[in-house]
Amino acid sequence: MVASGKYLNRARQPRATSLVGDVRGKVAPDFELTSLDGKRVKLSDYRGKAVLLNFWATWCSPCKVEMPWFVDLQKKYADEGLVVVGVAMDDTDAPKIAQFASEMGVNYPVLLGTDKVSDDYGSVQFLPTSFYIDRDGKFVGKGVGLLARKEIEDNVQKALASRVVGANTPANVPVSKPAVQQPEAQ
Amino acid sequence: MKVAQALLVLASVFAASMIAQEPGTHVPSVAFAPVGRVQVKPGGTANVQLDFRVGPDFHVNSNHPHSELLIPTQLKLTAVQPVSVPTLKYPAGEDVSFPFAPDEKLSVYSGDFSINAVVKVPLNAKAGDYPVTGELHFQACDRRACYPPRTTPVKFTVSVASK
Repeated sequence: MVASGKYLNRARQPRATSLVGDVRGKVAPDFELTSLDGKRVKLSDYRGKAVLLNFWATWCSPCKVEMPWFVDLQKKYADEGLVVVGVAMDDTDAPKIAQFASEMGVNYPVLLGTDKVSDDYGSVQFLPTSFYIDRDGKFVGKGVGLLARKEIEDNVQKALASRVVGANTPANVPVSKPAVQQPEAQ
Repeated sequence: MKVAQALLVLASVFAASMIAQEPGTHVPSVAFAPVGRVQVKPGGTANVQLDFRVGPDFHVNSNHPHSELLIPTQLKLTAVQPVSVPTLKYPAGEDVSFPFAPDEKLSVYSGDFSINAVVKVPLNAKAGDYPVTGELHFQACDRRACYPPRTTPVKFTVSVASK
């Protein structure tokens, strides 16, 4: 039996963060993480794009349900400027995560998560957790736990509907219409 | 009587944890029911039933999940020499489908489950109390989300009688 899936340092105490509760309108913390192919990737590299930032793990069964949806959404909205970014919260080897992602047909970048990025995003304790970030780098929504595909796509469309302030966008155009989903009380 | 007391303790633990929870931020737990002193004679063995209760609405993977990617529930115990715990017997998991994967069966524990530990005391053991300590490692999910692996401390005492 190979217990390949683990979580990043579970014994540590998460650092306090202001990114709790309703995140809409807040600036998404920038990060620099390593991709499965060894590149350093920053969130700010995607400024001007709508980003679906998905925290997941190989041992998370509900996460597997969403991944084919993300693959479809990436194809469907790529031309409109959507980038799905996966953040793997396993502490297993990158090749095993890469193999899993390959088997799932993932067509978007997958980055290796760290405790710091978890802290920066409000101590990610539930998987899957997704953040929807507009083209200006601000949150328009957050989804904790498995959501319906329609809810995910609605959030994606809200992120895409935003326009970068200060670029080719008049200042009086709304940046985005936020939305948020939280898991139901169990 | 001991079983009733243990269940009462488990119920108290869960009542306290439920009060502390906020909607949408509940934390999975697996509680361990206290075990009375285990009496073993030198040269003898004892089967110790270790009772656990998974928090409401949660499940944890069994010791033999159907996928290598899933994290099995594992008990790791350390006994003070010369007492040893050579064997742990895990229950079979229950094959269950969940809404997030209706076509897939996961082998899980939910509610109450027990692990049997075989305690062995060599013939030359001196009389006295020998603690056995350890942790239950588990990774829980509910119907919509999974939670990072956690541990529950486990402890009981083996009392070796004089010859």
